[in-house]
Amino acid sequence: MKAYALRRLLLMIPTFLGISLILFLILNLAPGRPGAQQSGDLSQSMRGEVTAESYKIFREQFHLDKPILFNTRFTLTAAEVRAQVAAASGVGTTTAAERVHAQEALEDLGGAAVPFLVGLLDDPEPKLRDAATYFLRIDAVRPLEDPFDSHPSASLRSRNLAIDAENAELRTLRYVSDAPEATKLAVIARWKSWYVAHHARFEHDALGKLSMFFLDTRFAAYWRNLAHLDFGVSLISREPVVPTLVSKLKYSLTLSVGSLVLAYLIAIPLGVFSAVKKGTRADRVVTLGLFMLYSLPNFFVATILLYFFSTGSEWQSLRSFPTGGWSSTGAAELTTLGQWRDIAWHLVLPMGCMTYNSLAALSRYMRSGLLEVIQADYVRTARAKGLSEGVVIGKHALRNGLLPILTLLAGLLPSILGGSVIIEYIFGIQGLGLWVVDSINQRDYNVILAIELFTTVLVLIGLLLTDLSYALVDPRIRYE
Amino acid sequence: MNAEGAPAVRRVSYFSLVWRELRRDRLAVFGIWAVVVLLVLAVGAPLVSSNQPFWFHDARGWSSPWLVGLFDRLVFESSVDIFYNLLLVLLPLFLLAYAAARRFFGGRLVRRRGRLVAGCAVVFSLQFLALTPATIGGVENPLHYSHPVQNYRAKLAADPHASALFPLHHYGYRETNPVESLSPPSAEHWLGTDQEGRDVFARMLYGTRISLSIGVVAVALYIFIGVVVGALAGYFGGWVDTLLSRLVEVMICFPTFFLILTLAALIRERSIFHVMVIIGITSWTGVARLVRAEFLKHKGLEYAQAARALGIPARRIIFSHILPNASAPVLVSATFGIASSILVESSLSFLGIGDPNVASWGETLNAGRTDQRLWLILAPGFAIFFVVTVFNLVGEGLRDALDPKLRK
Repeated sequence: MKAYALRRLLLMIPTFLGISLILFLILNLAPGRPGAQQSGDLSQSMRGEVTAESYKIFREQFHLDKPILFNTRFTLTAAEVRAQVAAASGVGTTTAAERVHAQEALEDLGGAAVPFLVGLLDDPEPKLRDAATYFLRIDAVRPLEDPFDSHPSASLRSRNLAIDAENAELRTLRYVSDAPEATKLAVIARWKSWYVAHHARFEHDALGKLSMFFLDTRFAAYWRNLAHLDFGVSLISREPVVPTLVSKLKYSLTLSVGSLVLAYLIAIPLGVFSAVKKGTRADRVVTLGLFMLYSLPNFFVATILLYFFSTGSEWQSLRSFPTGGWSSTGAAELTTLGQWRDIAWHLVLPMGCMTYNSLAALSRYMRSGLLEVIQADYVRTARAKGLSEGVVIGKHALRNGLLPILTLLAGLLPSILGGSVIIEYIFGIQGLGLWVVDSINQRDYNVILAIELFTTVLVLIGLLLTDLSYALVDPRIRYE
Repeated sequence: MNAEGAPAVRRVSYFSLVWRELRRDRLAVFGIWAVVVLLVLAVGAPLVSSNQPFWFHDARGWSSPWLVGLFDRLVFESSVDIFYNLLLVLLPLFLLAYAAARRFFGGRLVRRRGRLVAGCAVVFSLQFLALTPATIGGVENPLHYSHPVQNYRAKLAADPHASALFPLHHYGYRETNPVESLSPPSAEHWLGTDQEGRDVFARMLYGTRISLSIGVVAVALYIFIGVVVGALAGYFGGWVDTLLSRLVEVMICFPTFFLILTLAALIRERSIFHVMVIIGITSWTGVARLVRAEFLKHKGLEYAQAARALGIPARRIIFSHILPNASAPVLVSATFGIASSILVESSLSFLGIGDPNVASWGETLNAGRTDQRLWLILAPGFAIFFVVTVFNLVGEGLRDALDPKLRK
């Protein structure tokens, strides 16, 4: 048993890796840029230099400036960079969209473009020289180390201060486009001498190129972060993802686990009842009722319950339930018991909506599972021994009849987590489901990734528990 | 009667046996009839509800805006509608041609009925596929046909000499009318109007088209993927099986609805076809597992071994020998799949992540939720409930009919 549990645990690893791979590919190959809500709109208009740099830092911090799978930037040539700079600075015929695109590409190239930009400082075309100094200022800047560490060590602080000072110096290497020629030449000369001093940073040997090819990519950064269990910060709220996720977890878990437990508690007796009374009118009524419940979409039921019991209807007496949320506004002042009652009162409608769907599926399976078992020989033997019907059903048949609905648990988990999206949306409960919808709409990739990986782990654990509980219910199943 | 005097064996095909069983199940028969009615409603929607009159007569002469409007992208934006309108015109012609052919060729045709129906299905699905790119492109797409839409109701009211014949319910599903926003059900608007003054009855009626096509197309797609994956895994076994089974396991652990949401939200100009494809590529795992199990069972049976011994290529053994025998559980799961795909689509449009240009029931339901109007909640809610119930009923009936244990 222990060995089996261990093997199952190990098998979860490739599955988890597969899922994280699929998620990475979906999120990164999809069109639409993350963070476009804030910085991207600026890029449509003429961006100021400060915003250009902060946008670049933003992209760097979330590794959005890196190629997705393989980094081939060491094969970059002077001609390619020159063409991009020409497109970005409007030399030749370019549309506004092309210019923005070239600008962004140049900003993303970062250090890889620096040697060629320095080379462009001698270009005969003055516009290109101007543009080269502009992009040098952005690309030569070094990112801070570990900027989201809330308790930085002294050495980290001093290193970051040094980087910041260096960056501040680079920012002064500038001129306005109508500056006198002598100023321009002075700035260009300073850039050249800077490059002579720092060129080692931008040159790579064969090994460096190889590691750059595989490791300096979004893909590698993603796995590095996963290995550290580092899900980064939300692109929108700029707050670390994991603490927020943990704080929202209590809502979603209460809803989904609670409704699941409730569904099993009601479904088993109901299924047994209708299997025992097979063919009677009571059974037919229960079966038909469950079938209807099974087909009723829960967002319809939730909407209509809200209408009648909370907001819309004309019958005042019915409107006694809260419109949504988790607790009332003044709940903090209540006693502990009062707070619990308040939360319970808020949960009646959402929990009911989440329960009835799985309840219907479960008790239908329970009924058919038990019916199959009741026909078995050993049940007939038990009856023939003269055992009471209660013992026959409750002790002999039930245990085997439970197997099918245990299998169902594995399938129910993902659908319950998915179902909580709609229920949280309708009732305005700030759980994971609502958060995932908001994050998807705002392209907050870190949050989407964290939530989906987390729910996947939940499902994997659920599957494991299902398999283990088999062994408990059915002693015939031996895992060697 | 043959030479030995043994009684002749009445040949009864497997599916006619199943059909006989299915007809005993009253609920399933009701379900089948309801599906037929839904199909008729979907195809005939413009006959019941349209703001274009069948004919219109004024000082400038006769015209038939209804007929012209059937293929007009300004009246019907979605190519799903254009497809159904094409069916509306072609289906009666097909039936007429069939009746005529049957009269002349008689029995020979009846014997080939199956092939004829299959041919029609192929023609229609090709036509559907051909229309698909027309919606994904913008309105400037050269395949779009349109001419200025006129308000014929206003023209009729303004001109005392004009005469017109409108369909029973003379509103279109895209027609907005801010003056009549959120009006309750009346003789004019049978099920009221929504926030933008669009007629809810028309939206329900045309929503049938969306739901049925979502169900059928998404399920066809995922049955295809599931059958191929399951058949390969089950038939070849070994590393193919290991690889594909791992893939299936990965997909099962995914909270599918999250995946669908993510995919749908990341596509910028969503059309109903994107939604179909997304549902199709995320829901095939169940079918794959079913088919794999069936293939594992069947590949050891005598007929499959005999086929292998005869040197028949694996492709033919898989698809023409084993697959027909393994198709019963797939058929059942397809029927349930239609119901759940419809449910997924309406939840997506309920969350506002559907195709904004089509009349989707989920969208109206969400409007009812935000505006707190009972008619906006009840009409789409019961429509979804009815369609889902109907397909579930057929599925249950099929499952019982296909289960030899229950057959007497």
